[in-house]
Amino acid sequence: MLLPFYWVFKTAVSNENIYAYPPRLLPESPHLFNFVDVWYFIPFPRYLLNSLIVSALVVVCNLAFNAMAAYALSKSFPGRRAVLLLFLSCMLIPFQATIIPAYLITSKLGLLNSYLGLALPLLSTIVCIFVFKAAFEAVPQSLIDAARIDGLANRHIILRVLMPLSKAAIATNIVLAFIWSWNAFLWPLIITRDPNMQTLPLGLARFLSYLEDTTGALYAFAAMVLAPSIFVFLMAQKEFIRGLTSGATKG
Amino acid sequence: MPEWLNQRWVIVPLAMLTAVLAWNGYVAVNSGGKVEGQVVDAGGRPVADATVILLDRHFVMHNERQRTQTDSSGHFQFTGNDNHSLQLEAEAAGLGRSERRLVRLWFRAQNVRLAEPLQFAGRLP
Repeated sequence: MLLPFYWVFKTAVSNENIYAYPPRLLPESPHLFNFVDVWYFIPFPRYLLNSLIVSALVVVCNLAFNAMAAYALSKSFPGRRAVLLLFLSCMLIPFQATIIPAYLITSKLGLLNSYLGLALPLLSTIVCIFVFKAAFEAVPQSLIDAARIDGLANRHIILRVLMPLSKAAIATNIVLAFIWSWNAFLWPLIITRDPNMQTLPLGLARFLSYLEDTTGALYAFAAMVLAPSIFVFLMAQKEFIRGLTSGATKG
Repeated sequence: MPEWLNQRWVIVPLAMLTAVLAWNGYVAVNSGGKVEGQVVDAGGRPVADATVILLDRHFVMHNERQRTQTDSSGHFQFTGNDNHSLQLEAEAAGLGRSERRLVRLWFRAQNVRLAEPLQFAGRLP
């Protein structure tokens, strides 16, 4: 499973052609200067900052909006089943099919070429709502009733009772939202005009167009783009797995 | 140690922040843009008054940026380099041109002294 990651790193620290035959398992005279080239040849720090801002925005909004939606969906109310079915059916529609209306809405809101516009389609995701919903439903109702008797409002019940008991769901939300926004390519490509607003995946495409034969530097770029999402995944791995599997064995 | 501090979500970002600050401190101290070295002939004797050419990299091309002369001991120095990938070459009357040496730096304007001198294929008379 780690072989593709090793191969990316091996090519990044050497200037070997990936089509060289026979392929070498170990890099020949490895060095880290390809990473330095990537840092300076394109405005990498700027792209990194843009990606970090957009991803942070997406993660924070996902936690807030998904928790609120999941709390509502974990309660009984008329039409709840219809809302759940609507959400599930919306998951069947690929993002590419909704990209034109999404662009028009973002344009009407005046958010083209902005961080908020870049983050907009991912501010709440249905999968993550269901992850929170499963976690909230696992909390005993008596605990929520006790909090309500103590006078806590709904938002305080979410913040002070449900969220602390749903750490795995929070980690899952963080990992998924971060990775989805970090890797997003099509949406940023469509709504950014200013090169200074571009994110790392767009920078990768730009870099490829500049240095199409520089395999080592290209793979170094890929490794630098991958590193933050791998880091977040490794940091939250335990909770992520627990969050995805919680509720999976329910009858 | 307080419990909130003893968590991987605090320790790892703090360690990364410390490493980044330390690196930036190192860069700030060592980014004078100075490139130094020596030019010798095939026998290892210093070559005085040789012209040393500094070329810096722009994407796939190396373009000439500066020239300087070596002193009586064959030493040369460039200042004001702001690139991270250089090539150095020397030329002298009667000796032709030296090999072109690629010098890769860890950051822009890093102060560097060549470990090995630029060497001509020929010998001084």
